[in-house]
Amino acid sequence: MQGTQTTTPSERSTEFAPVEGGPETTSAEALLVAAYLLMWAILLTFVLLSWLRQKRLDRRVAELERALGTARS
Amino acid sequence: MRDRAFELLLAVTAAVFFYLIGHIFLATPPAQLAAGGIAQKILYFHAPAGYAMYLSGVACGVASALYLLRPSDRRDAWARAGAECAVAFGLMMLVSGPLWGKKAWGVYWTWDPRLTTTLLSVLIYVAIVVLRAFSGGGDAERRFAAALGVLGTVNLPIIHYSVRLWGGNHPTVITGQGGGLKHPAMVQSLVLGFVAMTLLAILLLVLRARVAFASSRLVRLEEAAAARETLDS
Repeated sequence: MQGTQTTTPSERSTEFAPVEGGPETTSAEALLVAAYLLMWAILLTFVLLSWLRQKRLDRRVAELERALGTARS
Repeated sequence: MRDRAFELLLAVTAAVFFYLIGHIFLATPPAQLAAGGIAQKILYFHAPAGYAMYLSGVACGVASALYLLRPSDRRDAWARAGAECAVAFGLMMLVSGPLWGKKAWGVYWTWDPRLTTTLLSVLIYVAIVVLRAFSGGGDAERRFAAALGVLGTVNLPIIHYSVRLWGGNHPTVITGQGGGLKHPAMVQSLVLGFVAMTLLAILLLVLRARVAFASSRLVRLEEAAAARETLDS
């Protein structure tokens, strides 16, 4: 059986040669899952950045309110 | 946009996305192996993300052109929001395409006309976002960003027609003559994908434009408060 074939020390590889035009072996399922995960990650990062920007705005509004309050008093 | 309308749009978008994901993975058959087999299902988010980038880019271009004609904070906010959304959707497209390409073409990237023009366009929008993030919101910076926004939009039709004009590896399945999706569920998934991404693009554009406009108003208030403080003291 090919799966249980063993090599003797004299048969082992002594060099690696590139194979050109071989069959595509990357798993399509893994690529599909990776694509969907990355797309959702980009989208969620975008929403997170918007939320952080909104928080910065809130902080600046609070500072402005404080400054105006100090000016009035 | 009124808050109630925004909330309704958010709910509809979420529902369409839930249905779309179920439809893509449970009802839509995979394509032939030469097109990537099951990896071809990336199409149902990849192409709509590209379309959403066009929409955002057009919003950026129109608002930028209007800003150049007659500057206003609101036009600047829409131009900025358009560029930011174009970057987000452009990245979604540029990340998902190579993963599909690896299975269909055997390589993640090739300097195909459509891929190259898309990359150029996304880089223009990245330039606008970086410019606005790091150089402040002065009138000169806003005008320069608006000019870039118009330039980015001019590039969009070139992306769209590059496949027909210069050939390349990129598929030409979706055309004005009907399209080559050979199963009704494939067509439904793609149409739903376009609907979902259009709704998402509108949501994100409105959200970012509101934040950008609020930011401009706040800067003006801060300047007015600082000027009043100087006068008082």
